[in-house]
Amino acid sequence: MQLLINGRHHEIEHGDEPLVWVLRDELGLTGTHYGCGIGMCGCCTVLLAGRPARSCQITAAEVGERPVVTLEGLAERDADGAVVALHPVQQAFVENPLQCGWCLPGHVLSAVALLARDPAPDEAAIAEAAQPNLCRCGGYNTIKAAVARAAELARDR
Amino acid sequence: MSDASADPPAPLGRPRRWRVARRRLLIGAGATFGSLLVGVPVALEYGRPSLVQWMLERGTGPTEIPESSLVWFELTRDGITLHVPKIEMGQGIHTALAQLAAEELRVRPEQLRVVQADTARGFPAATLFTFGSTSVASLYTPIREAAAAVRSMLELAAAGQLGVQVQQLTAADGGFQVSGTDRRLAYRDVIAAHHGPWQEPAEQPVLRPAGEFTSIGRSVPRVDFRAKVLGEAVYGYDARLPDMGYGAFAVPPRFGAQLESAEAGDAAGMPGVRQVVIDVEAGFAGVVADTRTRAWAAVRALKVSWSEGTRVDTAALEQQVTAGDGVVLRREGSTRAALSQGRIVEAEYRTPMAAHAHLEPLAALARVEPRPGGKVEVWVPTQSPESVIEDLHAALGEDRPVVVHVTQLGGSFGRKGGQHLAVEAARLSAATGRPVHVGWTRDTDLRQAFYRPPTHTSMRGSIGPDGMIRGVEQHSAAGDIIWAVAGLPEPVRSLLGFDPGGLLGLFLPYDLPAYRLVNRREQLPVPTGPWRGLGLMPNTFALESFFDELAEAAGSDPLTYRLAHLRKGGAQGERLRTVLRTAAQMAGWGEPLPPGRGRGIACSGDVGTVVAVVAEVDLSGGRLRVTGVDAAVDCGLVVNPAGAKLQAQGAIVMGLSSALRESLQIRDGQVVSDNFDSYPILGMADTPPVRVTFTGGGDVPHGMGEPVVGPVPAAVANAVHAAGGPRLRSLPLRL
Repeated sequence: MQLLINGRHHEIEHGDEPLVWVLRDELGLTGTHYGCGIGMCGCCTVLLAGRPARSCQITAAEVGERPVVTLEGLAERDADGAVVALHPVQQAFVENPLQCGWCLPGHVLSAVALLARDPAPDEAAIAEAAQPNLCRCGGYNTIKAAVARAAELARDR
Repeated sequence: MSDASADPPAPLGRPRRWRVARRRLLIGAGATFGSLLVGVPVALEYGRPSLVQWMLERGTGPTEIPESSLVWFELTRDGITLHVPKIEMGQGIHTALAQLAAEELRVRPEQLRVVQADTARGFPAATLFTFGSTSVASLYTPIREAAAAVRSMLELAAAGQLGVQVQQLTAADGGFQVSGTDRRLAYRDVIAAHHGPWQEPAEQPVLRPAGEFTSIGRSVPRVDFRAKVLGEAVYGYDARLPDMGYGAFAVPPRFGAQLESAEAGDAAGMPGVRQVVIDVEAGFAGVVADTRTRAWAAVRALKVSWSEGTRVDTAALEQQVTAGDGVVLRREGSTRAALSQGRIVEAEYRTPMAAHAHLEPLAALARVEPRPGGKVEVWVPTQSPESVIEDLHAALGEDRPVVVHVTQLGGSFGRKGGQHLAVEAARLSAATGRPVHVGWTRDTDLRQAFYRPPTHTSMRGSIGPDGMIRGVEQHSAAGDIIWAVAGLPEPVRSLLGFDPGGLLGLFLPYDLPAYRLVNRREQLPVPTGPWRGLGLMPNTFALESFFDELAEAAGSDPLTYRLAHLRKGGAQGERLRTVLRTAAQMAGWGEPLPPGRGRGIACSGDVGTVVAVVAEVDLSGGRLRVTGVDAAVDCGLVVNPAGAKLQAQGAIVMGLSSALRESLQIRDGQVVSDNFDSYPILGMADTPPVRVTFTGGGDVPHGMGEPVVGPVPAAVANAVHAAGGPRLRSLPLRL
């Protein structure tokens, strides 16, 4: 079967496996992280048809034809795959870094989805969108700052 | 699939041979033509100064401190690479160390290529050990000295190439400017044009004074974060090699249970299973499969039996850790006399077991040549490559050459100091003849760990007619931390009567006429060990909660009472007074609050850093909410203010999580709080604004990763009482 990931079709073998392992182990897209396996930490977040989804909670077969976006698929790239420009959310997290970074898929992709539906979120909206995602290094205040900055960067583009 | 993501060793390959040059400099021999390698040897710090002091006084510590090269630079036509000898787990150490180097190289930190030093490139594993908030403090001078020497060698070569005097050259921005001209020569061009041996500086170049720093003390972008937001950073769980299999192995159902028998059972025939590997003598039964979930499923189908192990539960463990008899660790004045009169205040405090709960579960990749004596190569997220090597040697044979590639760590907080998974991956790789990656599920990660041990502290104090403290008697008890994971035989530990890790935060920092401390350590039937700050936070919770109770009994304001008991002029006392006053000022200490709200203050010192925290809480609706935290931190010189602020804020959130949420539960000899549903950690909704001020300065940096966690739970508990709530004397705090 095929999956549409980051704008490209990929042939995959293990449709019965959770999407997180297909992405990481079959396709080598290790930017999507495993954290808890029960959908509570958010480290395995991807965008599924534009909405944040826990890739540990859905098999590849269940994804079907819906497009999947991972951390690797956000930046603007040239024909060779080299990064031309970071996504505004990525840029904002470079300017407002967290610590270890294992939680980034949840925080970055939730912010991407949030800004797509609300380009100027207030602090409450930012907190609500980020709430499902844990950060053991304790960067919650930085995350709020980063998402607010991302909204600014996105508006300027 | 390429194996680039596993970051194989660069062509630099072989362990480097060093030629000892003038002074303390080591020049890499056999370096590629045109390139330059410079390192410096320094005394390896084996522990926090206070611990070492203790150990040495008792004649049990390391008496020989080895020397080894801790840092080196590699200069090629492509630029300057800094091989960072400390491990990145989110603390921003690669960035801070790059700033130190950049200062003396006269480059911007972002002009350096920063890579993790590893044993494949000849680094002694012991020097990579990253622990105890010591990295910046221990490398502050060595890295700058090495960088200055490199700059000086480039300068000598550049002067020759340009036909000018060294004095005419000014180094800036990665090149040399000839004074009074517009002639400029980039470092890389100096290297490209250089032939023959490098001339060493006759003397160690003078280091730039702190007042002239341009890189140190500036907030600079993290060197590792672009790769992280792109999903390109390689953590232990991400390490890959072509033709890699996925491994899993049976883990004991209860602590202390040993493998008694194992058979393949149905596992051998399950889909995707390549091999079942059983070695009962080694206590090992595992599988290799073509996917991770198939390996996990196959392990559950193995027929294994285990010895009984322990059936202990949380209540029994806490009962075992009960303060009382023990060894006297401090005796000042006569507490007997002091406590025989005056107003007596007594209280007991408990902290529970806790998990590190790093978000990246343990993982390792191994590639082992199956033949006896064959090479072992592992990619592993560890704070301690040396213990990985020791474990591998013990399991697979001392004669095997071992190479450790340290990956990024997705959090650690002490847990990845001992990282045994490399051994299991290596066993499976040796048996199958191909690379094997082992990654744990969250529940295995939480069940098969070591934990912050429980503590119990019993305090008794007396207040004189002047309201000042006459004396304090303290009985402390805790499960082992350092002794649980390393060190001396049990008879020696018993004789000592204390665990070095348990000493952190153990002593009241105040000036008291009489103070007696009786300590008790317990070897528990479950694994315990280092957790961020070791004993600091549990001990500080007890001491600083009790100090608040003394202040209340004396009818004094908690801030005023603390200041009154910190001697003016004492070095530590003055610094504590400053952070206490600063945090109080930040929080509006003394300004009235509505009913149901309150502020609490607490302070502590660790690894040369002192911290004060004010927490503000709201108890309305019968629920405890922390509405704000203000912290003042004196860690001396701050290398990267943005990075230090992240560390401080992160430590505060972790402290709040311990204060409000975390309690590891053990039943029938096993951890039952084994995922984030049963072991909740603090999330965004319960995290208040956290403000941090650095009050230090000077030209000596102290520790930053752990100290700030110390006062947090005590500050919150004190705030609860100030808000009209009860005295809460055990964690997590529940109204």
